[in-house]
Amino acid sequence: MSIQRLMAGEFFKLRKRMMTWILAAIIVGLIILLYSILWSISGKAGGYFDRDLGRRVQYEELRRGIFLQAGVPFALQIIAQFGSLLAVIFAAGAAGSEYSWGTVRLMATASSGRLRLITARLIVVCVMVALGTLLAVVVALAYSAVITAYYGGADFSFITSEFLREQFLSWLRTVYVMAPFVALAFAAAVIGRSTLAGVGVGLAVSFLEPLIGSLMRLGGPRWENVPNYLISANRSVVLAQNKLPAGLPEFSFGPSKRDLERQGAFSPEAAAITLALYTVVFLLAAFIVYRRRDITSASMG
Amino acid sequence: MEVSEGREILRTEGLSKRYGRIQAVSDMDLRVYDSEVYSFLGPNGSGKSTTVGMILGLVRPTRGRALVFGSDMATHPWPALRKIGAVIEAPAFYPYLSGYNNLKALAITLGGITNARIDEMLELVGLRDRGHDPYKTYSLGMKQRLGIASTLLRDPELIILDEPTNGLDPAGTREVRDLIPRLARQGRTVFLCSHLLHEVQAVSDRVAIVKRGRMVAQGTVAELLGSGQYLRMRAADNEALTHALAGVPFISAVERVDGFVRATAPVAKAAELNQALATLGIYVSELTPWEMDLESVFMELTGEEAEA
Repeated sequence: MSIQRLMAGEFFKLRKRMMTWILAAIIVGLIILLYSILWSISGKAGGYFDRDLGRRVQYEELRRGIFLQAGVPFALQIIAQFGSLLAVIFAAGAAGSEYSWGTVRLMATASSGRLRLITARLIVVCVMVALGTLLAVVVALAYSAVITAYYGGADFSFITSEFLREQFLSWLRTVYVMAPFVALAFAAAVIGRSTLAGVGVGLAVSFLEPLIGSLMRLGGPRWENVPNYLISANRSVVLAQNKLPAGLPEFSFGPSKRDLERQGAFSPEAAAITLALYTVVFLLAAFIVYRRRDITSASMG
Repeated sequence: MEVSEGREILRTEGLSKRYGRIQAVSDMDLRVYDSEVYSFLGPNGSGKSTTVGMILGLVRPTRGRALVFGSDMATHPWPALRKIGAVIEAPAFYPYLSGYNNLKALAITLGGITNARIDEMLELVGLRDRGHDPYKTYSLGMKQRLGIASTLLRDPELIILDEPTNGLDPAGTREVRDLIPRLARQGRTVFLCSHLLHEVQAVSDRVAIVKRGRMVAQGTVAELLGSGQYLRMRAADNEALTHALAGVPFISAVERVDGFVRATAPVAKAAELNQALATLGIYVSELTPWEMDLESVFMELTGEEAEA
C-alpha cells in the first residue's frame, strides 16, 4: 500500500471536516479585520515614534503598509503570529481526534504500517497548513489591491523578479517557523492520545515560552542567554529576515532586529537549525511512541 | 455443528499480556480454521478485547505470539491485515462524515475499492437510504451495521466481529445471525466475540470460553454441550441409588442436589441406565435427561451471568 493512498485518505477526511474550514475562515477573517483596523487608523491625524526608524511615523504612513507593495509581508506577520496558533489547533485536532473517536484502531488496521500512517497524516497536515497560509496571503493581496485601487495607486512596477523571489522566501520562512509548533502539537496529541493534550501543550508553549524567556533575560548573566535556545527567540530571528519595502515602518508583532541584536540572538542560519532540531525532536518522540505503544481505548478490557 | 479442521487461519501460542500488575491475558492458545465460525466468549474484563487487539497487532503481547495467515502480528502484521476485516469493541467512525463517506475514506486508504462496492455494502446492511446522513446521527444499531459493512468492504478472508448484534433490534439481530454462517459458507472465517450465547450457539462451529484472561474451555459446540449432559433422578433410597450409579461405566460423576441424584452421563443413555438400575433392584421414581445449553456451560465455567 503506497503512502500516497494513505495521504489521499487523510486529505479526504480533513477536507470534509468542518474544523478545517472554520480555521481557514478564522485566519481569513483575521487578515480582513487587521487590514481594516490599520486602514481605519491610517485615516486619523497624528503619529507615533518608531525606534527602529529613529523618527516619528505619521498614521497616514501606515496606509503604505497595507498597499499592494507591502500587503504580503504584513499578511505574513499576521500569519506567523496568529496562524501558528491555528496551526497548533489544526495539527492537534488531526492527530488527537482519532483517539477520542476510536478511529485510531480502524485506521491502524486499514493501513500498511503505523509509521506510514502517521507520516502520511503529518505530511497532509503540513501541506494543509501551508495551503492555509497561501489562502491568507491571497486574501491579503486581494484586500491590498482594493485599498490600493481606492487611493488610485494602480502601479504594478514594483513587481520584479527580485520582489517575487523575496515574497516567496518570506512565505517559506513564515511556514518554516510554524513547523516546531505544528510538530509539538502533533506530538503532544499523539503522546497524550487527545486533541486537548496537543492544543494545550501547543498553545501553552506558544504563549508561555516568550513570557518565560523575557523573565529569564531579567535574571542576570546566568539566565539571560537561555532564551536564545528556545523556539520563540529563534522564530523571531528567522522572521526578522522577512523584508518590508524600504522606508516603511516595521509592522512586527515580535522583537525588532535591533532588540534581537541586543539580546545576542543566534544568526539566522543557527536559528533555522535550532528550529529544525526542535521539529525533529518533537516528531521523533511522536513516531517512536506511536510505533511502540499499544493502540487501545480506555474501555478495552 | 460438525467441523473439520481445515487450513489454519489463526493461531496463538502462549499469548499473554500484562498491564502493570494486572495480568489481562494468560497463555492463550487459540486455533481457528478456514471457513469456520469461531466464537470467543467471556464476561466483561475477561481479556477478550485485549486478545483481539493482539491478534490484530494493535496490542503487543508481553509473551507468546499471534500468527494470522502465518504472519506474526506483533512484528509483521501488514500482509495479514490486508485479509482481515474487523470491528473491535464498538464500531468507531468519523462522526462528521456520512456513512457513505466513512466507507469512502476507508476505501481510499485501502485502495482498489469502487464506489459501487460501497453502495453494495450499504445495501447489504440496510443503510442505503441513510448512507448520506452524518454518522453522528446514527442509532447504535445503524452504527453496528456500518461496522459490519466496513469489515466486508475489502472482501476479507477473516472477519473479526466484536458484539456485532449489540444495539440491533430483533430483526437486525436475526439478519446478522443469518449473515454470519452465510459468510462462512462463502469461504470466509468468522471470529465472533459475543455475550449473546444463544446467538453464538446457533451460528458457531467452535467456541472458546475465557475467564480472567485464561481459556477455560475450547471445542465444538457439541463437545462443550456434551460435557454438560446429565441424568437427574430420584428413588426411595437415594443413598443406595448413589452407590449403584458409582459402578456404572458411562457415568463420570454423581452428586446429590436438592433431593435428587445428578449423574453426569450422555442423555441418550437414560433408558440403558434405567434398565441397569432395575436389574440392581433400584427403581427410580423420576428420571429426567437434562442438557445444558451454552449459556449454562458458560455460567458454570465462568461463574458469570450471561446476557440473554
